[in-house]
Amino acid sequence: MKHLRPINKKARAIDEAVTQIEAVAQNPDDMEEDVVALQQQPRPHVPMGCTLSFSPGWEVDAGGGTAGLCQPVERDIYDCYVTCFWPVQVPDHVNYSPDWASNCATATKDWRNLDLVFP
Amino acid sequence: MTLRTVLAAGLSLLGALPASAATLFMGSYPDQLLVFDEAKGAVTKKLTLATGLPTSMTLSDDGKRIYVTTITTSGIEVIDTATRKVASKFSLNDGTTRYRFWGGVPDPTGRYFYTLLTKFEKGVDRYTVGKPSWGVVDMKTQKVARMVELEREDERSGGWRSAYKLSPDGKFLYVFGEKVLIVDTATLKVVDRIDLAKPEGTGLENVGFGGPMDTIRTPGQYVSLFNAADPYIHNKMFGLARFDLNNRQFAFTPIGPAPEAMAGLQVTPDGKQAYTVVTNGKLGNKRCEFWHMNMATNAVVDKAEFPCRSRFRFGMSMDGAKLYIYGASYDIEVYDAKTLKLETTWDLGNDTTGAGMVAVE
Repeated sequence: MKHLRPINKKARAIDEAVTQIEAVAQNPDDMEEDVVALQQQPRPHVPMGCTLSFSPGWEVDAGGGTAGLCQPVERDIYDCYVTCFWPVQVPDHVNYSPDWASNCATATKDWRNLDLVFP
Repeated sequence: MTLRTVLAAGLSLLGALPASAATLFMGSYPDQLLVFDEAKGAVTKKLTLATGLPTSMTLSDDGKRIYVTTITTSGIEVIDTATRKVASKFSLNDGTTRYRFWGGVPDPTGRYFYTLLTKFEKGVDRYTVGKPSWGVVDMKTQKVARMVELEREDERSGGWRSAYKLSPDGKFLYVFGEKVLIVDTATLKVVDRIDLAKPEGTGLENVGFGGPMDTIRTPGQYVSLFNAADPYIHNKMFGLARFDLNNRQFAFTPIGPAPEAMAGLQVTPDGKQAYTVVTNGKLGNKRCEFWHMNMATNAVVDKAEFPCRSRFRFGMSMDGAKLYIYGASYDIEVYDAKTLKLETTWDLGNDTTGAGMVAVE
């Protein structure tokens, strides 16, 4: 029994994606060794739910791929940290964790020195 | 007098500037200001900023002081460029009041610092977030002296991370964002709005405070690339605008159709050559090119594609011989300005912040 009914574009897209995933689960041979273009259905799964800002960028770029991300991704850690743009993935410099990066001058090389944050 | 004559006259003044290797000041993580010797290609000193992480730098018109704003405690630190030391520092935050601001500009006396700020008050059971306001910081009392809320139509045009300039007499504040706003410093009211936009795009931090424009600093003038659209079919074009900060007049010379994004304008010390970075396409399809322009003819004379980062800033050496790509990393990629080829990469040892780069001799 279906309790939820999509009423807007985004919800319909989620519904279609879930339907496709369920279809694949019932018949996995259909998708075996398949190569999927970004423009083609089913579209790649973008983990929208893990960011508060509804702007992918940490795991994937705004186009659903990774080509637009900083390479390596550690180059982008600090500007996300200071501007609080991805507050789930990176500590908040201004309010709660001003010392998170105090022992790490170069994130790409020294990321192991970043402090641990326990919410 | 034609526009080109005006431009030529202004640029000829730049030719009087001596060309030599300079010292670069760069904001970096976690709370450092790097002093970089261009001739040696190495960091020679690191200044620790007690008020926190640097987010912007503004060079005073006389080139003697750099005003660094910091985000950790909403501070302002003044650097003496001769001694390479912190001359003064303070934080605007206190127990229950916080401010958020990004950049600004000092008045000619150095007494007041003009910026755009937001105030946060911590109450017993809530935070009260103020509206974006024009703010004046008294550098002597180290407090916010005046605040006036932005008019609604200016909230977007004023913009976060806009570039600021002050008229030489200190009477008008110029804010370069999605429009050019002219603010009366006595009343902190916008007296004029000019429909020119800074060309900028995702990842291109064009509006640095003092950094990108330092190579073409001329007292009383502000020169930069701008986008404009014709009033009929709204065709976007880019060109060079020269603002006379004394009489609030400007001249705009269109150069060509506006590309998707451009990163700043860097002009050689003799005022004859200029460079910018143009990007087209997005994400994995993004392509970046250096554009070399002749300032006498306002024509693009050379282009060269280079592998660009997802986000970066664009700079130039004081003598105009090298082009710098930096930001979102710990290094500077150095390109030869004549051949537009990669020469070397300098390791800074610290990730740089969005504060950019200020060059002094």
